[in-house]
Amino acid sequence: MAHRAEPPDGGWGWMVVLSAFFQSALVFGVLRSFGVFFVELVAAFEEQAARVSWIASIGIAVQQFGSECRAGPEACHPPSEGKGAAGTRERTGRGWGDPGGGRRRASRTASSSFSGPVGSALSTKYGPRPVVMAGGILAASGMLLASLATTLTHLYLSIGLLSGSGWALTFTPTLACLSRYFSRRRSLATGLALTGVGLSSFAFAPLFQWLVSLYAWRGALLLVSALSLHLVACGALLRPLSLMEDPVVGGPGAQLTSLLHHGPFLRYTVALTLINTGYFIPYIHLIAHLQDLDWDPLSAAFLVSVVAISDLVGRVASGWLGDAVPGPVARLLMLWTTLTGVSLALLPVAHTPTALMALAVAYGFTSGALTPVAFSVLPELVGTGRIYCGLGLVQMVESIGGLLGAPLSGYLRDVTGNYTASFVVAGSFLLAGSGILMTLPHFCSLASTSKPQDRIREAVETKVSLSKEEPEED
Amino acid sequence: MRALPGLRALPLLLLGLLAAGRAGRADGETSVSPFTSLPIREETTTKHFNSSLETPNISLTVRSSVPVEKNITLERPSNIELTCQFITSGNVNSVNVTWKKGNKQLENIHTNATGSILYTQYMFIITDSKQMGSYSCFLEEEKEQRGTFNFKVPEVQGKNKPLITYVGDSVVLICKCQHCSSLNWTWYSNNGSAQVPIDVQMNDKYEIKGTNANETRLKITHLSEDNKGSYWCRAAFPLGESEQRVELVVLSYLVPLKPFLGIAAEVVIVVAVILLYETHTQKKKKLTDDGKEFEQIEQLKSDDSNGIENNAPRHRKNESVSQ
Repeated sequence: MAHRAEPPDGGWGWMVVLSAFFQSALVFGVLRSFGVFFVELVAAFEEQAARVSWIASIGIAVQQFGSECRAGPEACHPPSEGKGAAGTRERTGRGWGDPGGGRRRASRTASSSFSGPVGSALSTKYGPRPVVMAGGILAASGMLLASLATTLTHLYLSIGLLSGSGWALTFTPTLACLSRYFSRRRSLATGLALTGVGLSSFAFAPLFQWLVSLYAWRGALLLVSALSLHLVACGALLRPLSLMEDPVVGGPGAQLTSLLHHGPFLRYTVALTLINTGYFIPYIHLIAHLQDLDWDPLSAAFLVSVVAISDLVGRVASGWLGDAVPGPVARLLMLWTTLTGVSLALLPVAHTPTALMALAVAYGFTSGALTPVAFSVLPELVGTGRIYCGLGLVQMVESIGGLLGAPLSGYLRDVTGNYTASFVVAGSFLLAGSGILMTLPHFCSLASTSKPQDRIREAVETKVSLSKEEPEED
Repeated sequence: MRALPGLRALPLLLLGLLAAGRAGRADGETSVSPFTSLPIREETTTKHFNSSLETPNISLTVRSSVPVEKNITLERPSNIELTCQFITSGNVNSVNVTWKKGNKQLENIHTNATGSILYTQYMFIITDSKQMGSYSCFLEEEKEQRGTFNFKVPEVQGKNKPLITYVGDSVVLICKCQHCSSLNWTWYSNNGSAQVPIDVQMNDKYEIKGTNANETRLKITHLSEDNKGSYWCRAAFPLGESEQRVELVVLSYLVPLKPFLGIAAEVVIVVAVILLYETHTQKKKKLTDDGKEFEQIEQLKSDDSNGIENNAPRHRKNESVSQ
């Protein structure tokens, strides 16, 4: 097959956007609506602990979705917002009371983060299509086995491990594939693809409630498994694309090594980890913070919905802007990250409802704006040839940041008694991340994004320098 | 609880609905409605009498001719003191006050008056279920004024929605009673139209557990399709019984399996269509590529022949120039 010099920027690329849209809907929509099931499962398996688990599980559901908040605010707050608000008020500390929920979250996060590089390596070798299709089958079979579960351990293994790995195998390669298909309109395509999360969250929660009322949790999980099978169909849409840089950068092992020696890539990873640490905390703590200020649950839920809508608008707007504005996309990422950090840090200062509302909308818009741009910086840095491995590595490292961020902010809350410190610390993490972004190459130049020839040259140079180092190590 | 000033629309509408709902349930006087002749029921009172040492004093204020009612839940035998407070318009001495339970007139009434307010009191002891029911105080004037006290045993709460389970699963049916102290619970299952008590000793399919006196749990293991239907939990109080129904639905695993297989088949078809379309377009592209190659070869050939043909005029031209 002939290698293309430039990404197509359209054509079949729009089908890839469609595939990514449905995948983000299926992965994050299901994750977010899982609170519906969790409540039913606790009732089915641990009847003695009725009240305590009920309260803790709503809190846990909020915590669980924290690790998926990166994909959107809708992944963060549970469907029963009114109940969720009341639940978080009653929970002591941070709701880690139910060890089962904590274990589930940890197992899902772990399987997601470690499958990242595996999926990336496989995608580099075989192309994204078989990997995503296999991921879809894994996710669906995890749900299928969960519907047959007789103990909670079965659930941890089937949903946490199996489905978690399946989801991780689908989303990362798809976003990487999207980056390969687009160069001029990359940010817009990414932004459009990520809106799938927001739209699915409005549809899936009531759908799941309805399924549970008809078929109880077993039948509903079975049908969610059938729904997840559509990930396989989405994977089929990912037509492989061969670009000119692919033969140069070599197989997955060589790519990983070259990436780990790539200075800008490492700095970018650190920056993204810092951003991730601060990014998703506020979505969980916003509801609790509003309760501390004595807001009634209805207004709080309304505010969160407004933030979710501004997040959605921010994604698409930033996607379009990222392509329209010349120059490296890293500058836009720095802009949005700084604005997010500032709005976060100012949030505890606001006490009047109008100011809080305005800041929350600003935070929603800017945090949504930084998501598509964050994914667009990577192909500019490492080239579309190494995008699979690069994205996998980045996601693995930044999820560590995500795991650490939640306990840290909870600890701050417990120590200081309110959320001021945790918001300020989250904002400072974001500002630190944006500071590191300034050290990326071509940041201050007015030149347009690097051309494929530059990236190939760079890749060849890296490969040559690595091969020169090897004899010396012997 | 602070509402946003800028967002009054939605929350205010809901608050308005809530307030309207609550207004109808206020403990106290009900609004006058000239069109209804039936008494407007009041909300169940918050009086739950647990100790028989307490002598509850329950009172009602009756204004004009609107009948007023009060619901009282009572668990165990106690001394009761009912008081009606009538506001009369005219002469206090010419009025006639009676107490009735159903049609039976009651004795042992004390009445006194202060200004235009008339107090009448009836004291008695409730010992068993025959004494539960409605007690009314009447004031005979131009228009009759009435107040009613309704005595009931506490209600039992079950689940409003049917419980859905699958064959082979186990389920726990829960009945709860608020503000109750220790009770005897019994469970009944539905056998056609009759209620059949569930015998726990007979088989270990059924197990009745109760963690505390306020609730009872019936655990049914190894469910089969025959187990579906209605189940009743009955609470026995010294002063009566109350029961609640819980509905159980047992589905076979085939019920959700059919839509699952349908959706799985649809996914397979979609994947097949996508892959077939791709091979089709690739074949077409290959054909056009081959066609383009063929054209290019033809083009080269024709270029060569054109070159040969062009040489001739050049030579001729040179010849013509040289001549």
